[in-house]
Amino acid sequence: MPAPCRTIDTSGRLCPFPIVEAARAVKAMESGAVLLVIATDPGIALDMPMWCKATRNEHLGTFREGESWKSFVRKGAVGR
Amino acid sequence: MTRKVKAIGLVSGGLDSTLALALVRRQGIEVKAVTFYTGFCITETQRRKGGRPDGSIPRNEALRAAADQEVEIEYVDISGPAYLDMLVHPRWGYGANANPCVDCRVFMMRKAKEIMEVEGCDFVFTGEVLGQRPKSQRRDTLRIIEREGGLEGRLLRPLSAKLLPPTTPEQEGLVDRSRLEDISGRSRHRQMALAGELGIGDYPQPAGGCCYLTDESFARKFFDVLDAREARGEERRLDREDVILLSTGRHFRLSPRAKLVVGRTEVENALLEHHVPGRARLEAQVVLGPIALVEGTPTWEERLLAARIVARYGKGKESPRVTVEWREGDLIETYEVEPEQDEARIESLRI
Repeated sequence: MPAPCRTIDTSGRLCPFPIVEAARAVKAMESGAVLLVIATDPGIALDMPMWCKATRNEHLGTFREGESWKSFVRKGAVGR
Repeated sequence: MTRKVKAIGLVSGGLDSTLALALVRRQGIEVKAVTFYTGFCITETQRRKGGRPDGSIPRNEALRAAADQEVEIEYVDISGPAYLDMLVHPRWGYGANANPCVDCRVFMMRKAKEIMEVEGCDFVFTGEVLGQRPKSQRRDTLRIIEREGGLEGRLLRPLSAKLLPPTTPEQEGLVDRSRLEDISGRSRHRQMALAGELGIGDYPQPAGGCCYLTDESFARKFFDVLDAREARGEERRLDREDVILLSTGRHFRLSPRAKLVVGRTEVENALLEHHVPGRARLEAQVVLGPIALVEGTPTWEERLLAARIVARYGKGKESPRVTVEWREGDLIETYEVEPEQDEARIESLRI
């Protein structure tokens, strides 16, 4: 995975807040920049690809690491 | 150059709002989907508790609908004190349970109006269907929702539009009324046929909503909190912590002064652990059993009763005596009790 230019840790927060926080973070980033979202809500593995598709950002992958999930998102050219 | 028409779509991801989204999108209108977080969504709560009994995790249908139609979506949290106050003091009253659907819709429309103005959009649309719900989707209440939500003429219901007065965007030619629908009533056959026509194959089975407030058992617990506060001479009110606890565990009203909440699963036990401050925490010793919380100021008899009920839901329920630990701040006591065997008594206390 590419090195993220920003990481947010949403551990302990539950659906829908990991996505809400990711949306806020992406909004403040430059196109092409990568965001890493750390979450403990397993729903992120379902939510992040759908949110990226809806908002035209690129979902690079979501991986489980112990009790956490790591989700990588690249802000699209028209990503919102 | 013609101006781009923009709209805010309130999307839950159910069949109706998914269709409304598609009907507006196919007219070339730019849509921003908004989905509201109220804290009362059954699917979200199911996810918070680790998913369904079979281990699967339900999808977030609003995200799915927006993703399928490639529409920008924003989650808006409205679960704060103003929303809770509206639930306790609804101007238009409750439906069959604790659901003040008209007030809730008005609340959402006011928020949608703010978003519409900030985003420079022309109108708001929803998946509401005339006559589908007995309280909030009657002709008169649809009108109230529009007026009180501050969206007069700017609230489009694409599925029933031809049965309702033309909205401003229709009159201005921003929306082609002839390409909207005239659906009414509780049957979903028209919607399913329309989904086929619009190429929408992936949608949740229509199930009449996913809101805890429409659930009878949840409503009993909801009103119990308000009634108990009133009986103690306190204000009828609800806070966010109440909302979380209302959807967690078995609830027993020991008296107007005291309530017992017993975890049903490991996830619920873990959730209750986050709400110990200000409450007593009960747990059987030596044998496995649930975590339980007691709210309020129980009498000595009520403490023992709570301990017996906690013992009854643990592995020691057949034992003659069970030790139950009572922790309250720095105070730790242990009670030796017989597990409560009187099911009728337990049922009479269950909220």
